[in-house]
Amino acid sequence: MSNFFSKAEVTSSGRPVFLRNEVECHLLSGVDLEPEDHHHFSPLKSGIFILTTHRLLWLPSSSATTPTSASAIPLAAISHIFSSQKSLKSVFHSPRIRFQVLVSPDGRVFDPGSGSGSGFSSGSGSRSVVVTAVVRGKGDCDGFLVKFWDSWRTRAWESNETSGSGSGTGLASGSGAGTGTGGGLYSADGSVRMVGVAGILRKEQEMWESTDKSLQDAFQDLNALMSKAQEMVKLAEKMRQKLLSGTGSQTSGTNDEDMGSKEEIQDWLLSVGIISPVTKESAGALYHQQLSRQLADFVTTPLERAGGMINLIDAYCLFNRARGTELISPDDMLQACSLWEKFDVPVMLRKFDSGVMVIQNKSHSDEEVFARIKSLVTKPEALRNGISPTDAAMTLGIAPAMAKEHLLTAESKGLLCRDISPDGFRFYINLFPEIDPCNIYFVKDYGICSTWIKAVSTSG
Amino acid sequence: MRRRPGIGGLQTAAAARDQYRLLGENVAKLRTDLMKEQLATFRSQLEEFARKHKNDIRKNPSFRSQFHEMCAKVGVDPLASNKGFWAELLGIGDFYYELGVQIVEICLATRPLNGGLIDLQELCKLLRQKRKHDREAVSEDDCLRAISKLKTLGSGFEVISAGKKKLVRSVPTELNKDHNEILELAQAQGYVTVDEVERRLSWTHGRAIDALDTLLEEGLAMIDDGHRDGNRRYWFPCVSSISSFGV
Repeated sequence: MSNFFSKAEVTSSGRPVFLRNEVECHLLSGVDLEPEDHHHFSPLKSGIFILTTHRLLWLPSSSATTPTSASAIPLAAISHIFSSQKSLKSVFHSPRIRFQVLVSPDGRVFDPGSGSGSGFSSGSGSRSVVVTAVVRGKGDCDGFLVKFWDSWRTRAWESNETSGSGSGTGLASGSGAGTGTGGGLYSADGSVRMVGVAGILRKEQEMWESTDKSLQDAFQDLNALMSKAQEMVKLAEKMRQKLLSGTGSQTSGTNDEDMGSKEEIQDWLLSVGIISPVTKESAGALYHQQLSRQLADFVTTPLERAGGMINLIDAYCLFNRARGTELISPDDMLQACSLWEKFDVPVMLRKFDSGVMVIQNKSHSDEEVFARIKSLVTKPEALRNGISPTDAAMTLGIAPAMAKEHLLTAESKGLLCRDISPDGFRFYINLFPEIDPCNIYFVKDYGICSTWIKAVSTSG
Repeated sequence: MRRRPGIGGLQTAAAARDQYRLLGENVAKLRTDLMKEQLATFRSQLEEFARKHKNDIRKNPSFRSQFHEMCAKVGVDPLASNKGFWAELLGIGDFYYELGVQIVEICLATRPLNGGLIDLQELCKLLRQKRKHDREAVSEDDCLRAISKLKTLGSGFEVISAGKKKLVRSVPTELNKDHNEILELAQAQGYVTVDEVERRLSWTHGRAIDALDTLLEEGLAMIDDGHRDGNRRYWFPCVSSISSFGV
């Protein structure tokens, strides 16, 4: 009777409610379920037959006259699937799928989830019934059979506990979404579309499972790698000590040989990931030497454009952009620039008090810049209003940040005075050196003081 | 060796020193060879790891951050150089250096608006917009690592914490504790008034004015005198929730 099969829950729109991790695999319409002998259950006619990873579901179609509820056969209860017999008879008949279902002593389909018995080995006193599903509607019966075999063999219901809860819940929502869209796409011959969504979901599940597993592997491998790396680090430290201590004790005759090996050592340290300082004697890793020359060549053009001085970080961005691939790290850049003082290149690295580092032309001199600043700041407007970094930048033809550095340096040399207001920094010419402390009000006829007074007093 | 006086003794001593030196060099050479061997083994092990997990490192931000933590514990810096094994075999060097360059560009572009201080989440958001076409996800941890590498170039790239938010500084402005506290206070409404500062932080008038003026000079704050009650408000674009600067 109708309580032969397990009950399958159905949503209000007639779609089955899936279990956790259950994914729909295939669907056939117009299927009759017939038992081998009729006393087990009466045949179910013309329903939708759905294969999932965990169960076989039979849903009554809306046109069924006898109101039967949805039924389910857990795949765990299936003991055998018969292969399709191709005989002369079967050419004329509708395709049939036959499988054998274990039946528990009380006449119902064996349901592993109900706890009605422990293992369902065939000799435990349970009988089996052969059920035939006659496919009268249009549908890919062979494909269904193949998937049926796959799902049954995969035994997805047993791996329920072992799969991670994270992927499980993710997938449940995924399959929930799938059923939602599936419900919308559902139609009498919507079987193809159903497979599409289910297929995608299946693929996602497999991907999640494989990622999970590979991540576990990855962490194990990572641990192993790190322990090896630790050994390398210890060894590298020893070599580095030798490098640092070996500088003074060798005679000059063996220096070349040592230089060679020191370079090698530096290269090795670099490969493992340890930055070794560029010592006075050593020239750093070969890589950095090459890089340093390359950088010196590259940086001449931007330097000219920027007026002789360029921020290190700007140079870094420009260089990496130009390289495209195989970018260099900031440490590489710094090392390469530090090596310039050993080579004969026309550029140098300079560090300001504020921490800003710049690349400038060796030919660039501070005095020249100060002279230009001075001429700028003694103009009449400048005497009245002072100059801001942006004014200086425009006149000197350099970036505002650089201009500010120059102005600050000039101030520290005693050339300028600063004026801080909510408008920002402004710089004026420094008049104090001209003022005699003993005779404050005396203004020399020559000198900037008098020029300043003239300029200021003529303003409105 | 018996110590002998005189020239003979000196010569013997010199010969002994030479011999020891040669021995020492040999020993060192052995160690060098040993190191070469060790390095080769390590490299092949790393290659194996890379072959299996290179994709995981690129695609999975949490795995990436775990990887970095373990490297730090061991004492290696995988981002130290582009020439290192790590960058070469795992390919993460380019990812971080490219990220660094992009961060610099974004900071430069938003500097006129926020004075060189940008909220980390805002930065990440702008980064993701910029990198729409790249399939690799960028996490906050990745940004922090890229910025910590940029620090070596000077110019003040740094991450500071003000209250709940993390701010990325791209100018060499010195922000002391007072400034930090004001920034924290400003997170509530995006602006502060002098009264609020005095009241909430229990400062003197002079101290509040001093700190606010410094922030103003550096371009981190903007004045708003248009309010009805006449109080001057100091707005901080970097911590306010006004987003979409349209970079």
